[in-house]
Amino acid sequence: MTARGSPSRFLQSVLRNGVGRYVCQLKRLTLTFSKDAQPSRGAREFIEEKIVDFAKANPGVVLYVEPKPCSVPKLVAEYLNGTVREEAVNRKTGEEIAELVQKMASQSGLEIIRIRNPQHTDNPSIQGQWHPFTNKPAHINLQLLDTAGQQTTSQQ
Amino acid sequence: MALAGFRQLVRGVLSARCIGAAVTVLRPSHRYLCSQSSALHPSYVPKTSISEPPWPKIELPDSIEEAQQHKELVKNVNNLIATGQFGRLFAVVHFASKQWKVTNEDLVLINGIVEAQCGDRIRLEKVLLVGSDNFTLVGKPLLGKDLVRVEATVVEKTDSHPKINMKFWRRHRHQKKKIIITPQTILRINTIEIAPVLS
Repeated sequence: MTARGSPSRFLQSVLRNGVGRYVCQLKRLTLTFSKDAQPSRGAREFIEEKIVDFAKANPGVVLYVEPKPCSVPKLVAEYLNGTVREEAVNRKTGEEIAELVQKMASQSGLEIIRIRNPQHTDNPSIQGQWHPFTNKPAHINLQLLDTAGQQTTSQQ
Repeated sequence: MALAGFRQLVRGVLSARCIGAAVTVLRPSHRYLCSQSSALHPSYVPKTSISEPPWPKIELPDSIEEAQQHKELVKNVNNLIATGQFGRLFAVVHFASKQWKVTNEDLVLINGIVEAQCGDRIRLEKVLLVGSDNFTLVGKPLLGKDLVRVEATVVEKTDSHPKINMKFWRRHRHQKKKIIITPQTILRINTIEIAPVLS
């Protein structure tokens, strides 16, 4: 699809995040896996080795581990702005799942679509909008009142 | 004496181009008498854009006076900075091989990975320019680290939208589809600070 046809948005952040302090936008993470099925092997490895480290490093994220007979283990992330993202983690090793979880924690939950402008500002101009007379001597733009009056009378 | 000057004039006319020659002949001859020693008289050179630039001659200001004015200006700007009499500042920052014009509370999207975790505060050190309402400090090419301090927070590390690179060659049963996703980083500019250490 062409770039113009694809959905787009402007660069933004959730509730001016980072102006005062940074708040991790990931609220809740649920890992559904099977205790004995083959596709869940990576998920089990992740739980055994890395999940505690992640939970300690991110105290703001609630982590649920849900053993359930299933063929596809899943990772469901819920964000503070209400977005729910679901990722299947079958055929993934423990390290790959750890990377995915880290990426989910560093995202903000805003839609991943084309961003129109790589910069956003609330104050587009500090020294004033440029016009042809900026940084030019003032006498260019000056006109005395009596000469202006003469010009108007001559035009009439 | 006058004859000799005239001969020289004729020689000069013959050697010169026809348009320029017309101009030189019209001039009074006594000027050539006083500058016989020089090989080429300045008056023989026709007035063209090559011999003389078309713009009026620029007179440079006196260097001592200029130095004094500069000193006074620097003092005034240092006073303004020290007393905090400037409004919102903006800066031109070189980051990720691009130049960004930023102010406080701006968002900047960077294509690529930044080696900092989310929530880390980083300092953007390559500052090319800082401006406020009344003054602008321009680096040559960069401003000093003790003069300006621009800080930013890594707000988000995410992926770009899937860009589809599609190739299709009609009537040749050939098509390729490649989906490209690149990492992106969003920075929030926190502060732009300046110190009164101009010199």
